[in-house]
Amino acid sequence: MKKSKLSKDDVLRLAHLAGLTLNEKEIEKYKKQLEETISYIENLNELKTDNILPTSYVNFLTNIFFIDEEKNERALTLEEVFQNTKNKKNNCFRVKKIFDE
Amino acid sequence: MLLGKSLVEISKLIEKKDISNKEVIDYFLKRIDKYDKKLNAYLTVNRYYKSDNFYKMILPIAVKDNFCTQGIKTTASSKVLKNFIPPYESTVTKRLIDASFFILGKTNMDAWAHGSSTETSDFGPTKNPWDLLCSAGGSSGGSAAVVSSYLAPAAIGSETAGSIRQPAAWSGVIGLKPTYGRVSRYGLIAMASSFDCPGPLTLTTEDTAFILKIIAGKDKFDATTTPNEVPDYVASLKKKKQFIIGVTDEYLNGVDEEINKSFYQLVKILEKLGHQIKKIKLLSPKYSISVYTIIQRAEVSSNLARYDGIRYGNNRTFFGSEAKRRIMLGTYVLSYGYYDAYYKKAQKVRTLIIEDFKKVFKEVDIILAPTTPIAALKLGEFDKYPFFGEIMDVLNEPAAIAGICAISFPFGLTKKGNLPIGLQLMGRWFEEENILNLTYQIEKETDFLGVIKKGVKKYPD
Repeated sequence: MKKSKLSKDDVLRLAHLAGLTLNEKEIEKYKKQLEETISYIENLNELKTDNILPTSYVNFLTNIFFIDEEKNERALTLEEVFQNTKNKKNNCFRVKKIFDE
Repeated sequence: MLLGKSLVEISKLIEKKDISNKEVIDYFLKRIDKYDKKLNAYLTVNRYYKSDNFYKMILPIAVKDNFCTQGIKTTASSKVLKNFIPPYESTVTKRLIDASFFILGKTNMDAWAHGSSTETSDFGPTKNPWDLLCSAGGSSGGSAAVVSSYLAPAAIGSETAGSIRQPAAWSGVIGLKPTYGRVSRYGLIAMASSFDCPGPLTLTTEDTAFILKIIAGKDKFDATTTPNEVPDYVASLKKKKQFIIGVTDEYLNGVDEEINKSFYQLVKILEKLGHQIKKIKLLSPKYSISVYTIIQRAEVSSNLARYDGIRYGNNRTFFGSEAKRRIMLGTYVLSYGYYDAYYKKAQKVRTLIIEDFKKVFKEVDIILAPTTPIAALKLGEFDKYPFFGEIMDVLNEPAAIAGICAISFPFGLTKKGNLPIGLQLMGRWFEEENILNLTYQIEKETDFLGVIKKGVKKYPD
């Protein structure tokens, strides 16, 4: 089995994309585990898939749309929308500032 | 009087007024108080049963903690959702409540359903009712354990690839993974959306059919559910059907000798019952491990992206190690430059696996195989296996990838550890009736070699 190699920067880039903060120990651990897993999944290259269409859905349905103008029974009340947050102001969620003034 | 009674039997007792709803609920709450400290199978117990209507039948059921239950805490066993109270009801629990079920409690699981042992739960592992040093399996380990120890007459679990069948096998109960799209995923905390299937764990085949009939069917809130008619699964159990049953060496290689012995014992019984056994050839499950690993991690990383702690729950620093590992790999296989090499390749091999099943199902009606390569492992052993979940679920992944239906049932005990052995039947898409029918025939002929009854007896009133 070919051994796949990842650099520390690769791991940090993935963590950044995924919004995860990793400590040094975790970086090492995930680097090793990711390399192992990536080496294993290479076995798919043993199978020829040149003219095979990728699966996007295992059943037979196509084009399912929501019925127009139907009453939306799933809508939540404002109270329900905010019942699980700690960061609320004037019926809005408070988030971290992303622009400088 | 109630010990070991199935849901259908309990409903008959209530109907005859031999027992009241309240007595039934109190009976299970008392058993939970007596045994659950040891098993750690429930995360939340619902003690708010009010008997406002004596004439209405109420049946108790346990539900895995990744189904949103309005007003009842739902955590998916993760600290990210430690205090999350869903503002809405999942379709599965809504249909159960509408059919007069009472949710006894929410059961423990691997955090976000990532695992096959409940050891990744942020609230401690669930113990196997057969041996407290062993794992109950997972991810629906709590649901399997409460049924096996009769802390609920039945439970709802969810399966992405093995999460119903594997704990059912390890804890010695029946577990059904319906066809993808047969049961709505609305309100089920998503793991891998193109695989996830809710399904029942029970003591009898009849109960599985009874629950499936209630929860199956098209749901306008889940566009992947199909409009196929929902048959009367209970009524069709009693038809004596004859099947052509496929068996393959690919599913026996590397499987524990005692489990293979049970397998051949059942093959003989099936022949005696008049079914035809046929050798088939399937793609090696080793490719299913890779396909599943890639697609599932990709879907996990995208599904878990919504947990940012803004609208609900805690922020992303609360994710456990297994969730982080999966998010990282999913991000990798979806990232620029790797998408074609991994994700797209895996989706193409998924097509090959589906075609492989379609071909085989032209020759046979049902495939028989072991559910797991080994019986329950000791808690803690999971660290020794780098791919733990994938190895435990190797025999479950092909069916999950193709979306076909499958059912696991106990068939004997290991001599080594006196632990349950699970075998499974896989059927064509939407042919739950067939696999249920054959499971029922096996139950009538063998009583699953007494495993389920022995399990319940370990937990007297």
